[in-house]
Amino acid sequence: MRRREYLYLVAPSVLVMFGLLVIPLVRTIQWSFERVRYGSPGTFVGLDNYRDALTDPRFGSAVAFTVVVTIAVVSVLVVGGYVLAVLVNGLGKMRPIVLGLLLVSYVVPGLIGGTMFSWLFNDNFGGIVNQVIRLVGLPEVLWFTDTWANRGLVAAAVVWSMIPFAMLVILAGLQGVPKEMLEAARMDGAGSLRTHWSVIAPSIRGVLGFVTLISIMDVLRLFDQLIPLSPQAVQIGNESLVLYIYNRAFLDGGQQLGLGSAMNVLLILLIVVMLLPFIRDTAREGRS
Amino acid sequence: MRTPATGPRLSPPSLRRGPLAAASTALVLVGLTACGAGSRTATSSAAEVPCEVEVAEPTTVNVLAYNSSAIDPFTNTMVASCTQGDLTVAHEPIDFDGQTQRTTATLAGEVGTYDVLETYGYIIPQLATEGSLLPLDDLVETYGEEYDLGALNEGMLEAMSYDGQLYAVPMQAQMFVMAYRQDAFEELGLEPPTTFAELREVSAALQESGQFEYPLALPLLASGDLATAYDAALGSLGVDYVDPETMTPNFDTPEAAQALEELKSLVPFMDPQVTTFDQPSVQQQMYNGDAAMAIMFSGRMNDLTLESNTQYAADFGFAPPPTVGEDGAQYSALSVDGWSIPTNSAVDPEVLFEVIATSVSQEASEEAVPAAFPARDGAVSEDSSPYAAAAIDAIDNAPAAEPFPWTAPIANETLPVVAQAMLDQITVEEATARMQEIATGVLADY
Repeated sequence: MRRREYLYLVAPSVLVMFGLLVIPLVRTIQWSFERVRYGSPGTFVGLDNYRDALTDPRFGSAVAFTVVVTIAVVSVLVVGGYVLAVLVNGLGKMRPIVLGLLLVSYVVPGLIGGTMFSWLFNDNFGGIVNQVIRLVGLPEVLWFTDTWANRGLVAAAVVWSMIPFAMLVILAGLQGVPKEMLEAARMDGAGSLRTHWSVIAPSIRGVLGFVTLISIMDVLRLFDQLIPLSPQAVQIGNESLVLYIYNRAFLDGGQQLGLGSAMNVLLILLIVVMLLPFIRDTAREGRS
Repeated sequence: MRTPATGPRLSPPSLRRGPLAAASTALVLVGLTACGAGSRTATSSAAEVPCEVEVAEPTTVNVLAYNSSAIDPFTNTMVASCTQGDLTVAHEPIDFDGQTQRTTATLAGEVGTYDVLETYGYIIPQLATEGSLLPLDDLVETYGEEYDLGALNEGMLEAMSYDGQLYAVPMQAQMFVMAYRQDAFEELGLEPPTTFAELREVSAALQESGQFEYPLALPLLASGDLATAYDAALGSLGVDYVDPETMTPNFDTPEAAQALEELKSLVPFMDPQVTTFDQPSVQQQMYNGDAAMAIMFSGRMNDLTLESNTQYAADFGFAPPPTVGEDGAQYSALSVDGWSIPTNSAVDPEVLFEVIATSVSQEASEEAVPAAFPARDGAVSEDSSPYAAAAIDAIDNAPAAEPFPWTAPIANETLPVVAQAMLDQITVEEATARMQEIATGVLADY
């Protein structure tokens, strides 16, 4: 390919990337040092926005909640996605139907899915889970006001909505594992569990890394599901970082664009820190 | 402190954030499938009224108004009636949160995106102070007779005014109304409570009857409605957030603590998760028969009377809300909605005003009943709906307005503290002390 052709083909992507990623990023960093209102130029305030964010106890609480939920949910997603993928991979003619059904929760928008999921636990809308709990004589669970019950509810909803993605990618990885390798393991006397642990999982390490990477990014941006699932998020310490940014910067017509930008920069740093090992692994995998 | 209430008390916007975001999405989807003339919301509630506004060249008037059963009739009338000739009136469906965001954004630029804004008494002082809205007195003077604007309720006009100038043409109002299960009350020989003390007694009787585990339902969502509830309780006790003469907050008064205590005293009679309940959740409790009493905005009452919503539709009775103390104003918040013209609109203000005046005409107002309580005197009579008599009583006995630019910021910033007190995370004393500090900080900007 000639250099000019290469430039022609690459230019649209570069332009889009520049317009939608680089410019907003630069502007976000710039605004994070300013006090900004809609329609007027910002005023330089140095590190005030960062100071405001970092000295707010809610910020620390939101970071802690987000990180804990991310670690817990991503762990379940990778393990659960792997198990589901193995089960689906073992299916015969039913595989496309089961796969289609499993993907439903992934294609439902987060807000709608979260609302429907909340109804399972809400007596106002039937609350099937609550009915089962009463049926077996267990004590009432305050899913929306008890901190840990609500965390479990939120985590379950996120897992429910995202596990099809993990399953689908891992399933593709499983289908690429050479049959000869599995046959060799069997001939060496490896049991099923041993084969998965020592042969299959390592051979799809790159795929698992990719699933982990994408899942971390998605869960760190947890926002829309919290609206129906945690209406009291602020008071019970279940406010995610993105929800916190929205609440502080924009709620009730707020115009804290500078503060919101500073918080977004901090969020980007957090994402980079959490993704660094996986990005390195994925890059290494790609090179090899 | 203030004198007994005669005018409307303005309500924080948080109370309007009733519908779940999902419901808003559903509303938008419904709107998208029911396009009308220039509007993308259902036009079944639109009255066709004469609108003879003339424009010299093709003109589009963009309207920003959130969708609700009380606002839609006026918006739809505006769109359906005034889209004619070279004039197009356009409205996109949106929820209240969206309206709030877009209002801020459109008013910030030199030329705004919208030409007619839905506003409400609570926000008028702030926008008027910022110079974002056009004073309408001259236009009322010019067109008042033609559009019979003299029939608009004086109190509602006052609620849309700031510093002696009118900034919005009122269309409708909402106030707290109490709904209760008449069948259960009759069976137990109970009367609708008129004070909070009676409310507790009646709630206890209903609870003891075994028919209702949690007989009382109030919208006390910790991230929204609770601010309205606290302000309503405070107003019922005759206290404003701030004494406007001395510019000192009133959270250090005994009434500020009493308002919190009174709200907390109702907790044993409500669902343990009541601080997650917005107005639709409260409606749902009534639909399901889980609660026997609810106090919420009048705009929510029509839904309770529809048999398609609940098997108890015929069993609901309606009464004015009780007072928090032994006397004084009722536990209520009066929210008046109106139409404003932003100063940064490029369209001729006279054209915009005529479009607005058309939407609040006598015919359009009558068409909006019973979903709305129109601003035109006489549009609602005691026979207009099962809850009209209660609404008329409530509108006359709501706490007085707080038409000041600091009201909204104080309500928003003290909300987390009220929530903490309701959830017993802090004591009432700590809460009032913190609110006093927050309000003092807010007032420093004025």
